[in-house]
Amino acid sequence: MRRVALLLCAIFWAILARADARQANGKPERLDNYLKKIEQAYKVSFVYDAAEINKTMVLDVPTKLTSITESLDQLKQKNISYRLVGNQVILKIVEVPRNNSKKEITIKGTVRDKKDGAILPGVSIREKGTANAVSTNARGEYQITVKDNAVLSFASIGYKTVDISVAGKTLINISLEEDANELKDVNIVSTGYQNLNKKLFTGAATALKGSDVKQDGITDVSRMLEGRVAGVSVQNVSGTFGAAPKIRVRGATSITGENKPLWVVDGVILEDVVNISNEQLSSGDVSTLIGSSVAGINADDIESFNILKDAAATAQYGARAMNGVVVITTKKGRIGKPLISYTGNFSTYLKPTYDSYNIMNSSDQMSVYSELARKGWLNHSDASRAADGGVFTKMYQLINTYDATSGAFGLANTPEARNTFLSRYATANTDWFDVLFKNSLMQEHGISVSSGTDKSQLYISTSYLNDNGWAVGNDVERYTANVNAVFNLSDKLTVNFITTGSIRNQKAPGTLGRVSNPVEGKYSRDFDINPFSYALNTSRTLTAFDQNGNRENFARNFADFNILNELENNSLDLSMLDFKLQGGLNYKITKHLKYDFLASMRYVKSGNEHKVRENSNMANAYRAGYSPDDSYIQDNNRFLFRDPEHPEAQPIVVLPYGGFYNTTDDFLKSYMVRNSLEYDNTFNEKHLVNIYAFQEMRMADRQTRSMIGYGYQYDKGGVPFIDPNIVRQATLSNLSYYSMNHRYDRFAAFMTRAAYSYDGKYSFNATGRYDGSNQLGSSATARWLPTWNISGAWNIDKENFFENSSINKILNRATIRATYGLTASLGSATNSALVLRNASALRPYTNETESVMNIEYIENSDLTWEKQYETNIGVDLGFFKDKLNLTVDLYNRNGFDLISPLRTSGIGGQYLTTANYADMNTKGIEVTISGPIIKTSEWNWRSNFNFGYNKNKVTKLSSPQSIFNLVTADGGPQEGFPYRGLYSVEFTGLNHDTGVPEFINEKGVKSGDVYMQSLDTKYLKYEGPTDPKLTGGFYNTVSYKGFTFSSLFTFSAGNKIRLNPAFSTFYSDLDAMPNEFKDRWTLPGDELKTNIPSIPYLETAADFSGTYPYNTYNYSTVRVADGGFIRLKQLSLSYAIPAKILKSIGANNASISAVANNFWLIYSDKKLKGQDPEFFASGGVALPIPKQYTLSLKVGF
Amino acid sequence: MNRKMKKNKIFIYIACSTLLLSTGCKKFLEHQPDDRTELNNPVKVAELLANAYPHGNYIPFAEAMSDNAGDKGTTSKLLPNASPWNYVDQIDATSEDTPPYYWNACYKAIAAANYALETIDKAGNTAEYSASKGEALVARAYAHFMLVTLFAKAYDPATAAYDPGIPYVTLPQKVVEGDYTRGTVASVYDNIEKDLLAGLPLIKDQSYRVPKYHFTTQAAHAFATRFYLFKRAYQKVIDHANDAFPGATIVDNLRQWNTTYNVLGYYELQALYTNSTEPANLLLQESKSNWGSSYASYNYGLSSAVRATVFNPGNNPTGKALAMTTKIFGGTETVYNIPKFREHEVKETISATIGDAYIMVPLFTSEEVLFNRAEANAMLGNNTQAITDLDAYLSKRIVGYSVTADKFTVTKATNFFPNVSASDALVATVINFKRQEYMHEGLRWLDVVRLKIPITHVSANGQSTISLGANDPRRLVQIPQDAIAAGLAANPR
Repeated sequence: MRRVALLLCAIFWAILARADARQANGKPERLDNYLKKIEQAYKVSFVYDAAEINKTMVLDVPTKLTSITESLDQLKQKNISYRLVGNQVILKIVEVPRNNSKKEITIKGTVRDKKDGAILPGVSIREKGTANAVSTNARGEYQITVKDNAVLSFASIGYKTVDISVAGKTLINISLEEDANELKDVNIVSTGYQNLNKKLFTGAATALKGSDVKQDGITDVSRMLEGRVAGVSVQNVSGTFGAAPKIRVRGATSITGENKPLWVVDGVILEDVVNISNEQLSSGDVSTLIGSSVAGINADDIESFNILKDAAATAQYGARAMNGVVVITTKKGRIGKPLISYTGNFSTYLKPTYDSYNIMNSSDQMSVYSELARKGWLNHSDASRAADGGVFTKMYQLINTYDATSGAFGLANTPEARNTFLSRYATANTDWFDVLFKNSLMQEHGISVSSGTDKSQLYISTSYLNDNGWAVGNDVERYTANVNAVFNLSDKLTVNFITTGSIRNQKAPGTLGRVSNPVEGKYSRDFDINPFSYALNTSRTLTAFDQNGNRENFARNFADFNILNELENNSLDLSMLDFKLQGGLNYKITKHLKYDFLASMRYVKSGNEHKVRENSNMANAYRAGYSPDDSYIQDNNRFLFRDPEHPEAQPIVVLPYGGFYNTTDDFLKSYMVRNSLEYDNTFNEKHLVNIYAFQEMRMADRQTRSMIGYGYQYDKGGVPFIDPNIVRQATLSNLSYYSMNHRYDRFAAFMTRAAYSYDGKYSFNATGRYDGSNQLGSSATARWLPTWNISGAWNIDKENFFENSSINKILNRATIRATYGLTASLGSATNSALVLRNASALRPYTNETESVMNIEYIENSDLTWEKQYETNIGVDLGFFKDKLNLTVDLYNRNGFDLISPLRTSGIGGQYLTTANYADMNTKGIEVTISGPIIKTSEWNWRSNFNFGYNKNKVTKLSSPQSIFNLVTADGGPQEGFPYRGLYSVEFTGLNHDTGVPEFINEKGVKSGDVYMQSLDTKYLKYEGPTDPKLTGGFYNTVSYKGFTFSSLFTFSAGNKIRLNPAFSTFYSDLDAMPNEFKDRWTLPGDELKTNIPSIPYLETAADFSGTYPYNTYNYSTVRVADGGFIRLKQLSLSYAIPAKILKSIGANNASISAVANNFWLIYSDKKLKGQDPEFFASGGVALPIPKQYTLSLKVGF
Repeated sequence: MNRKMKKNKIFIYIACSTLLLSTGCKKFLEHQPDDRTELNNPVKVAELLANAYPHGNYIPFAEAMSDNAGDKGTTSKLLPNASPWNYVDQIDATSEDTPPYYWNACYKAIAAANYALETIDKAGNTAEYSASKGEALVARAYAHFMLVTLFAKAYDPATAAYDPGIPYVTLPQKVVEGDYTRGTVASVYDNIEKDLLAGLPLIKDQSYRVPKYHFTTQAAHAFATRFYLFKRAYQKVIDHANDAFPGATIVDNLRQWNTTYNVLGYYELQALYTNSTEPANLLLQESKSNWGSSYASYNYGLSSAVRATVFNPGNNPTGKALAMTTKIFGGTETVYNIPKFREHEVKETISATIGDAYIMVPLFTSEEVLFNRAEANAMLGNNTQAITDLDAYLSKRIVGYSVTADKFTVTKATNFFPNVSASDALVATVINFKRQEYMHEGLRWLDVVRLKIPITHVSANGQSTISLGANDPRRLVQIPQDAIAAGLAANPR
């Protein structure tokens, strides 16, 4: 705030200083300065029409003023006459008689788009220097009568203005070129509700043209915003198709909520199919694949993005606006002959390599195993019976195998035989990345047709995407279709229809949900076969193929396991159908009053089939221990069933045949209806007034259902074989084999907004909105919330003093904006009334269970929405005729009534409840510097540098946080710290005698034992926020003739990252270890040289029982890295094929480009050692964003 | 003018349609956001009452505080029940098996009862709700009784009117934090008695689908015997015991330790002990607890010393080992245990490795009714009746029981407990049997606080001892820190 004030002062000072300097010089003088002199000398004042008399005109004046008449006579040289009335002097331009030699002529012509030849209606054509103007009709034609020496100026929003001398011509056809300067495009601001004249818009918003930000080869449009908009951070926590990136506009606003911006497509809020919080996005669970609500949108269909950031911009979204709004406008048909465009993208991904990761090769790994064996691990009795085992388990099992016919053991139990056996694996050096990844091909084809007349316009597009998968077991295909039709039924009535649809079929490795285990301090996922995680975590001593080239199995869950076999036999098939119908009607009641009706319906059906075939490890694990019988395995295999009716009997197999066929389906049906009225008028050409009011209702019904299909026999024609005991096993654990549930979203809103602009100089805006929702529960009081906003803007450049001063040669545009208002969002709590859920009683026997009703939340009659007061002050400056634009926004957000868990006395019946009591403050600055630095007919260089800095602090919070909550990669909230802070257990060093890590524990005592579930967190060390404080991008595009080269750098800084957990008490012969293990503690005294803990002796580890020093080490101060990075996100080179070649193929335009996406991680903390600073290696379906090379072809006919 | 009128008209239209919509809106917005259930009929009220019982476990801390827990000295490390054994206040309310967790579980049960009662009141207290009303009142009384017993002083007619109690909650709370005071032990007892007596006659056993998990009339009478024993209203103890088991019916409802149990294997005994088919279990409740999987191996538990003190044949007035002694499994002190609890693991996904552990806790058993009646009779000087009950007990506990040889007598009692009156010796006998009976079940602590039994905890190496005198303030479990923060008076320390 203070900084802005200082900046403004500096500008004024500069203006005044210049004016003073001029006055002393004499002779040529600006008119206004001259008049001012006269005013001072003779105590008169001047009256004139500024529109008529240009006060910046320069005239020769005498150095000294002698008399008032003599002084005023000087004005005659500029044809200005004067009249003295009292002490007022009235100035007027003397009409110069028309030069009769200049005759008037009538000119006709057609205006088209230079790019595609489409007809351009509504282009204004003005005779320069006069008020004589017309505009093109719906067929792009115009007719104007002007003097034969006139200059015509053709102007249209979004196009470069062209001046043409008439020079006697009577037919002037012209093509206008699109204006690439982004800022100029924003003469109209689309808020999703309204398309507003920029003069009336007072908020902080960034508009991006779809074609400018489109990254060929990037399929998810939300990822295209990365590095493009100051204040918008995009974290690619998973790169799998359909998984949404973690997007934040101006950081987080809620402690427990989703913090996702609202997506609005063509005026309709895009509902999420499933509710996934930002934290869940990084979980790797299956639901993340349908987490991106925009995954079904074809990037080619997008006309523009508008990112609404501050309270003034988002005011129309009221109680949904706290996290910012991204408005997408899709393409509409153009008037003119059909225009056909084709886009083809061909991408390939690079396989990851071990060079970029820090993993031991097989011989180093084998030597670690030897140490493990020496220390009592991997011993014969344990390893031969291990549920999960690698080469040692295999070796011992072979030694134990006696073949009665040959009379020999599988392997002789001699040191030589063992060494020979192990040496094959020690030298195997398996490249798992090579086994599990391929340089795949992704192709994307899109065709669109745009056509129209003045009565109807149509845009149709369709696209096909096929990605045959970077990692084994992954592939995707997607089809999209989009029809957008506009019919002008009369001058007053317009109707439009939008129909979009997309179909997706995707395959991913089979996965189960991630489970957190705070006791040991880790996350786990059963049967995880994520190829990336597997490659990173699996020992390179293991081999995928044996000497004969057959797939080689190792033990997992007591059953055979081979990753390639498992990826084939355990898969997820996801299908998704997304269909939207939208209709609008627009009626001009009067010239200034407009009625708009909008209705939309969206239907999404997503199905997810988890196919676990009978040959998979996951199915065979249920049979391990029988055939051959092994009572040890029978006792220890947790997939066998111990029948409570026969408590002394041996556990039995409950899946004798087949595998699983588990399905999950998600449905979304959403409807929206809106009625709006807009009054727009200009009075006396100076007073712009716009009043807008709407009423809208939305509803969304979501259904999720899931079913565990037991014993499906894929090999046998798909017949299920169900052992009733498997159902008993599940029901006795209170696990339902099927489920179905719903969510109902009902929403109503009323809004009024009034905007006023005076003379283009001052704008004011006031918005009030009243929202109602059913999401808080059935209490009638909690349901409604009013929100409001006031804002204003001052266009300093429109002020006389500014226009007249010479500073406008440097600074040609200056606007100050300010806003203050209340926005809100729905929190995660829904208990404004008692929340009850039925369930089965958690009792062990079927005759004891009954249907019971559980209290999920007791009533909180004070429950309300999460709210925030936001102050934003912004400046928009244009330098050197908008060659350089600077936008700076400063904001302060005070979030209050935020929902957070709260501990109570428990007496009311709910110890941990959720309540609106937390507060959070966010301060930030956003800066964008952009402009067409060079712009000649051949050279063009545009640059955009932007960054957003955002600091948030929880100012009130008392929710209990366990150590585990705070130290894991996502971090947690604490009062006085950011909303997600990363904390560490303080590492104090390695124990002198054992090399076991030691820490400051929850009691402040140095110990190897830290109770991870403890709520005593005061001895944790605060590392930093997990969300970056600074994010931004630097985009450049240089074109020369037909060549365009562009680059996008993105950067982020200020956050901390938890290194992937690599340490544990015990390592099996499956584990791949990072190279730092080479520096591990081996002898007393090493603790002075290294922080890498020892591999403990079996006996030492036995003493740990109940404590987990090695897991704790993963969450200690030494396992943290800085999250800052600089990335060369994209490089692209494209070539527009010259017109003469195009003619020969009958095309209007064509270009070919080569694009490299995610090209180079220029800088990141060395401690990361290859770990991607954005990606959470959480297994499941999560994959990092690969390096990608794309060839893109675009042709228009 | 014309335009203005037109504009006005439009605004009127908007205003009207807004009004119309807003009434429609109310209905539109009243839709529940998800599949939550509404409490709107007798069946659902009854289902809610399945949660009117504490689903937390008092055994782990109550057992550790009592003299049933010795230091096994297995390790120097902190173990889950070290705090209660050392009488150190436990403050973590999110971990099961702690006093704050149990406190919250009790009040959660009370809230369920209160929501049910509110609904019943709103429905006009109709007959179809009366059984539920009975259950709600008795369940509410039980949860408060357990709270006042653990967190306040044991009832003493002389001081109960001054001793701080625990908040007695009778209305559903509808805000984040209510305003509560502790009241006195006397006022809490009054409320318990009021609820118990109002609720008991309304209970209908036939209304329950799984009666053993609800307050049946029998279970409610069993609770009444415990309550009146604490309140020292001995005749009422006897009356309620007789109502629970008219005549001699109680004998057949005792655990058949010396016959059926005696031949069971480890897992079989474990399965039967907390099974609803066992007639001795009068009221069972599921409880989230790690006790089932861990009680054998806890460092503070059935140590060799405790085993000898409690179970040695010479350490009870009969001079014979009771049948439970033969079912102490484990082989070594570190894991000595009588298999009474079977862990019930509730999993969230089909093949999850970890789940939530539950055990079924017998809250009331036939044996307790018998013990309470015997003690009350002894207190009232009805020694013969007391001995009748003790004989009934021993007939199921002494292997090869002989009606003549094993007949219990006042002399057997006074020989074993010399220097006290016959009645006191009988009371002491009851308490002695009870201690054996409820090993691993935590109920010993109730006798410890009620009878002010002094306790000494000696460390395994014998170097440190903790003595808990008759009036030691640590006999009162500390009020949870969050409740103190909300304004409740803490217990003195």
